[in-house]
Amino acid sequence: MATFRLQGSKVLAVDLTGDAVKAKNGSMVAYDGRMAFKKLSGGGEGIRGMVTRRITGEQMTVMEVKGEGTCWFADRATEINLVGLHSDKLYVESSNLLCAEASLRTGTSFTGLRGGASGQGLFTTTVEGSGQVAIMSDGPAVLLRVTPQYPLSVDPGAYIAHQGSLQQKFQSGVTFRSFIGESGGEAFQIRFEGDGLVYVQPSERITVGGDA
Amino acid sequence: MSFREINSRMVEATVVPGRRVYSQRGAMLAYRGEVSFTPNSRGGQGGLASMIGRRVAGESTPLMTVEGSGTVMFGHGGHHVQLIQLAGDTLCVEADRLLAFDGTLEQGTLFLGAQGGVMGMVRGQVSGQGLFTTTLRGHGSVAVMAHGGVIELPIVPGRPVHVDPQAYVAHHGDVRNKLSTALGWRDMVGRGSGEAFQLELSGSGAVYVQASEEKL
Repeated sequence: MATFRLQGSKVLAVDLTGDAVKAKNGSMVAYDGRMAFKKLSGGGEGIRGMVTRRITGEQMTVMEVKGEGTCWFADRATEINLVGLHSDKLYVESSNLLCAEASLRTGTSFTGLRGGASGQGLFTTTVEGSGQVAIMSDGPAVLLRVTPQYPLSVDPGAYIAHQGSLQQKFQSGVTFRSFIGESGGEAFQIRFEGDGLVYVQPSERITVGGDA
Repeated sequence: MSFREINSRMVEATVVPGRRVYSQRGAMLAYRGEVSFTPNSRGGQGGLASMIGRRVAGESTPLMTVEGSGTVMFGHGGHHVQLIQLAGDTLCVEADRLLAFDGTLEQGTLFLGAQGGVMGMVRGQVSGQGLFTTTLRGHGSVAVMAHGGVIELPIVPGRPVHVDPQAYVAHHGDVRNKLSTALGWRDMVGRGSGEAFQLELSGSGAVYVQASEEKL
């Protein structure tokens, strides 16, 4: 059973006892004990996974880390958030996924228009099962709860992940003002409705729709 | 104890007459009191021999001497700063990661080939550190820079620590390092895990690792 610990806010320490974790390619910074690194590919396992990868372009290069000892992960000094899943499903941008227990299933799902506008492609990575996941954010992430009474709108560039039973809808605030160059800079949002949690980072990626 | 951490990116040094501090040139942010900054063309101490040594080694990050009486604040490029206390042991650190250090510390240059033979030289090339590294020995404190936070990992005999060369910052103590390769057929066919080279540190001491794979 792999245990995930945060060492500071930017380094993840994983204690392994002969089991395996999946981690972003090249994100290991140090380890002790015995470790083996093997490249995997995202988008699910087997031929089906291979086909989805081809079609979706959700190319995430993942490595499998297996062994005994402690392995430390970090990536470009981004903040790391731990998420515990209990037979739950987490949707996360593949670029924000740092590490997940090997017992969790990873897959690809269609996100619709949102992905196109946020410049992340039309597909996103899903992590499903029970175990721990480490996701990265540029700056400390906030966790926002969505309830049926209180839907949430998020800037596509600041969105990193969500979990629970949420419907997402693409929403545009484009009015005729935007066309004459008087936009408020917030032309597109993702609207979440239902019951669940959304992770938002205090920074915005450069997005195609709207000037970040 | 002449250094004090102000926040994660700034340190404050106290200088009194007769007790100087060396720092990377241009790293001063603010000062109080009567303090003078002199560029150090000789690159620290050690006389002519070590000056030639440094010239040859290319480990010649311009330093300046800070003297007088007062307090000086140092910081550079918004990088995280880590204070390391030395109690008679030797710290190996790359010259461009060195922000400031006590004048009481003895500065030297270490040829990596001397420690690990040909592999030592390869290690310098792979990790982008060149063939030489800076050493500091004695009693005092050193401020080193890193991208992202720094974690300190202890090294105990019989349990070597492996570090990604790009994330390596510094190490101290009685530590031997060597480059270990995990090159397999997978790397040859372009399916590598991105962790082909590692620094293996064994002995007793500590290694400092940054939370990023970016060089300064």
